[in-house]
Amino acid sequence: MADEVVLDARGLVKDYRRDRAVDGISLVVHAGERVALLGPNGAGKTTTLLMILGVVSPDEGAVSICGFDLAHQRSHAAECVGFAAGYLPLTERMRVREYLRLYAQLYGIAEPNPLIEEGLERFRIADLAGAMGTELSSGQRTLIGIVRATLHRPRLLVLDEPTASLDPDVARRVREGLLDLCHRDGTALLMTSHDMSDVVEVCERVVFLSHGQIVADGDPDAVAAAYGRGDLAGVFLHLAERHEPTGAQQSDHP
Amino acid sequence: MTQPPIPLAITPNPMTARAKSWLRMRAIARRHAYVLVRSPHRLFDVSLWPLVDVLLFGSLAAFVGTSGSTPAAKASGYLLAGIVLWHVIYQSQIAMSTGLLEETWTRNLLNLMVTPLREVEYLGGVALFGMIKLVIGVGVMVIGAFAFFSFHTWSLGFGLIPIAVVLLVVGWAISLFVMGLVLRFGTGAEALAWGVMFVLLPLSGVFYPTNALPTVMQPIALALPTTHAFTALRSLVDQRGTDWAQLSIAAIGSLIMLGLSMWFLVAMLRAFRKRGYITRYT
Repeated sequence: MADEVVLDARGLVKDYRRDRAVDGISLVVHAGERVALLGPNGAGKTTTLLMILGVVSPDEGAVSICGFDLAHQRSHAAECVGFAAGYLPLTERMRVREYLRLYAQLYGIAEPNPLIEEGLERFRIADLAGAMGTELSSGQRTLIGIVRATLHRPRLLVLDEPTASLDPDVARRVREGLLDLCHRDGTALLMTSHDMSDVVEVCERVVFLSHGQIVADGDPDAVAAAYGRGDLAGVFLHLAERHEPTGAQQSDHP
Repeated sequence: MTQPPIPLAITPNPMTARAKSWLRMRAIARRHAYVLVRSPHRLFDVSLWPLVDVLLFGSLAAFVGTSGSTPAAKASGYLLAGIVLWHVIYQSQIAMSTGLLEETWTRNLLNLMVTPLREVEYLGGVALFGMIKLVIGVGVMVIGAFAFFSFHTWSLGFGLIPIAVVLLVVGWAISLFVMGLVLRFGTGAEALAWGVMFVLLPLSGVFYPTNALPTVMQPIALALPTTHAFTALRSLVDQRGTDWAQLSIAAIGSLIMLGLSMWFLVAMLRAFRKRGYITRYT
């Protein structure tokens, strides 16, 4: 299963007006692989994720998910993917169980109750099933969002800043839940985060972006060593400095 | 890129594509039903406002009808029948347009767009929900017109059904156009969801023949399918039977309108994805 390619993005380019947000990114993720997409603000992470999710169409390049060409088989490809982001709200005026049921049905699951129970248990929030979305804290909303994204047991789970604004205990539950999911179901994980401790604990591969290009890709320790830094935070700070306009002429590569 | 599709790790409930589509449409309709039931002010759309309209136009009809002249008696019937049928367009249009607007107001658009939900399934879901609102809203009007003014809408006969279908299609066409504008220009375009109706209402001759309009407006009115649908309605009110000629023009016009609106929406959706407008709602 580990050889199966769940995400194959080739030569992605995206321009917004005069700015090139993504400049030729190619990324292959295999089943069960846990990958962090890292880089300073404006490096092109979210645009890359949105192209992988089919919400933004690339100017050049193509994305294939589980063998489905995203440009022509978006709905089939989307069945293989789950997405959650720390900044996204829950759908309003619904109880948690109703909300999860809605999204399970959008993924074609007619009787989702056992999967909802399992998902809530995985992140230890079964007591929230009857709560209204407006009654939840931001951390609880994030957890519910991740449960929603994993209900249909996706082959690829895409998370944008999953632990942003979470307290350490909830962040730990998120990490443990994600690792459990990846190990049990062989789900591949592609996540962005500014919290390097999350990355080290959850991901086995890091992909650093800068100015819309991949500048490093590999094992976290190997990437840190290539940049002559002790850890990923050092690499991040190095790239963030290069990302400033005054440093744009300097090389982002190690 | 040539790898064959990988099956899901676990397939919880294998279903046919058609069954999945129907499931998704019902899920979307139910999602909007929750919004309606849990936002009391939105229930006004299908209860209070239809009742206010029937009271307003029914009272006008009663006042006009007291003169006893034949034209006044006719106008009286035009007013009540017109406002009841006008709500077919209003309810179908508002339900669909505010369906998408609800997703933008609550920043829910991205949540939906990453799911396997197809655009046509989403539209089917909000249209299904709109039909429920339509039945409730128009039902309230029919009952109100009967209770307060002894106006028997159903006495107009089965000819009402094709007229209502044409108006339903026009309502959908307008809502698709408004959705396209919202996708392209953002929620700033939402005023059009209601504004378009206020333009269409006088031009369509809902309560009067189009020759009552200023001469310069009459060609515009005649180009609208709604005008011909309401002309057919007046034929029923005047007990002249179903005016199939007017109804045919209305039906063809409404289908052309629907086709153009769909084309516009698809083009705006393409621009939405191309220009990354989703970031307006995240």
